[in-house]
Amino acid sequence: MSDATNPFTSHGKRATCMEMLQLYLDGEVTPEQRAYFLSHMDHCMPCFKTYQVDVAIRQLLKDRCCKEAAPGDLITQIRAQINQKSS
Amino acid sequence: MPIFDAMEGARQVYTEAEKHEIFDREFLPHIHAMYNFGYRLTLERDDAKDLVQDTYFKAYRFIESFQRGTNAKAWLFRILKNSFINDYRKKTKEPSKVDYQEVESYYNSDDVNRQITSDLRIDSLKDMIGDEISNALNSLDVDFRTVIILCDLEGFKYEEMAKILDIPIGTVRSRLHRARQLLKEKLSQYAKSMGYKTT
Repeated sequence: MSDATNPFTSHGKRATCMEMLQLYLDGEVTPEQRAYFLSHMDHCMPCFKTYQVDVAIRQLLKDRCCKEAAPGDLITQIRAQINQKSS
Repeated sequence: MPIFDAMEGARQVYTEAEKHEIFDREFLPHIHAMYNFGYRLTLERDDAKDLVQDTYFKAYRFIESFQRGTNAKAWLFRILKNSFINDYRKKTKEPSKVDYQEVESYYNSDDVNRQITSDLRIDSLKDMIGDEISNALNSLDVDFRTVIILCDLEGFKYEEMAKILDIPIGTVRSRLHRARQLLKEKLSQYAKSMGYKTT
């Protein structure tokens, strides 16, 4: 695939594998870029491996780092503060 | 969904009843995400609670700067981030010393990226059953930690992150990229210490 047909090319600058992968992973691609990158990943083993690892890390983050629930009395305290200072 | 339209446009006028309705329906549903963000920034539960309480108080006080139906979550996250920088961080620590020159130079190096990623294997990641991922995230500089929280935990888009953090989208991209590389390095160290083959 030449740069001329690469929809990630911006101002004549070729995007690196990792730039393309990040945009794809973060859902920041156009439909053309998505199709191009999926096709690219079919024959780029480093991209494929990195993508697998990145997806696994993101899932791990979501599973393990989103569990800090607000204390039960926090909403009550917030309401009390608002009512006190706005009255 | 428009982001912060009201901040760039006209001031809204709400009745007291409307203010309470916006607060209850648009702001309070994000309280757990806000608390998690506050905790991940301060790494202290009491400080997180104070930060969230302060954020909600400011959100109510400046509610006429918010246009109902726009992106309340991003607006609240922006207030919390600013409170953290202006109030909390000043009291506790020196400002961040992230070397952003290094960030930029790292960004275009596929070789570096591949080396770090090749040190990690899916099976070792899946077996991380303790707090390794949480500790690794917490050990990152707060500016790097923040972009990972906003993108990977909360699912904000680059444009929203740029508005929340007051930085250009290009900087969001490069900072996020570097943050993920640093996180991978930490996880790779854990994997090695657990005895996993990493090559």
